[in-house]
Amino acid sequence: MKWFHYLNFVLIFLVIVGVCIFEDILVSKTLSSIEERCLYIEKIVDQEDNLKNMIFVLAIDNLEYDWDHNEEKLCYLVNHKSIQEIGQEIAKLKLYISDDDVASARVSLELIKFYCHSYSHFMGSNIHNVL
Amino acid sequence: MLTIVLRSIIIYLIVLIIFRLMGKRQLGQMQPFELVLTLIIADLATIPMAEVSVPVLHGVLPLLTLVVLHFLLALISRNSMKFSKMISGKPVIIINPKGIDYKALKKLNLSTDDLFSALRECGYFNISQVQYAIMETNGKVSVMPKAEFSPVTNSDMKIRTNETFIPIVLISEGKIIDENIALAGLSEEKIQKLLTKNSAQKNVKVKDTLLLTIDQNGECYLQFKKGEGKTFQTKGLVAR
Repeated sequence: MKWFHYLNFVLIFLVIVGVCIFEDILVSKTLSSIEERCLYIEKIVDQEDNLKNMIFVLAIDNLEYDWDHNEEKLCYLVNHKSIQEIGQEIAKLKLYISDDDVASARVSLELIKFYCHSYSHFMGSNIHNVL
Repeated sequence: MLTIVLRSIIIYLIVLIIFRLMGKRQLGQMQPFELVLTLIIADLATIPMAEVSVPVLHGVLPLLTLVVLHFLLALISRNSMKFSKMISGKPVIIINPKGIDYKALKKLNLSTDDLFSALRECGYFNISQVQYAIMETNGKVSVMPKAEFSPVTNSDMKIRTNETFIPIVLISEGKIIDENIALAGLSEEKIQKLLTKNSAQKNVKVKDTLLLTIDQNGECYLQFKKGEGKTFQTKGLVAR
């Protein structure tokens, strides 16, 4: 059964590599998708005078759905507390629609983009995180 | 709370598997790198257990990485003496026929009290009885006594004795151990006959038996759940 013993370790090694690759792909894919959606929403805010229009509401809903969907997966790999800010900012964005608060909405969008950048830094594989 | 309970179960099972994979040596004779590993494992396992916001994978993945690392180190150690010495060190003679090797003792950071304590654990209360004492890589001390203080053996006394064998357990707590029956070259029918023959009851069953063992000389030990144990010799029923 010596081969079985070796096989166990090879399988464990493959699991480790698999999880690392999965995490890297999921993090970069999720964050870039959220960032793209933010840029799109910013364009809408630039074009429209107010936030109470269907395109904006729909874009925010899509952003929220996208984030919630990916956050569930990210929670398997990352500390939940470290990634809660984006969800909070999206919730604020929804509130700004009813108040038609364009300035605050812009701030929130900027913050989401900032969080995307900082998340990708601390979740990604780089020498700063290793050391 | 349910989350914590489930997480604890998951982590416990994973740590159990990890220790099984590392082998039995891990429990008794730990080399320095194995001790380090055990300490880290104990610490890592508790993090995701108590902190719900930390994914279980954060605890499990480092554990698995350490297992693979341990496996690689053990593999290289087995194949390279140099590497093994570098990782685990080498045995050091601390008492030789000339007496205590103080230089070696200092190098090992041991005091004479520690040395005496180790000798007493080995059953030697007087240093003059010891010819050699060796500090093994796992931190235990092996002692070779002087010839006049060595325990007398049958060979010394020129006493002829029969070879002893390890008895094979055939029934334990009412359950037949099929693997051992095959090892002894016996069958369930033969076991049943043996039980019937050596019981006061007529329809004695396997489930009524507490223990049945047999050795290579055909000597059996039988004890029923209700009753005393007895030793008897079987004819024509000898474990292979």
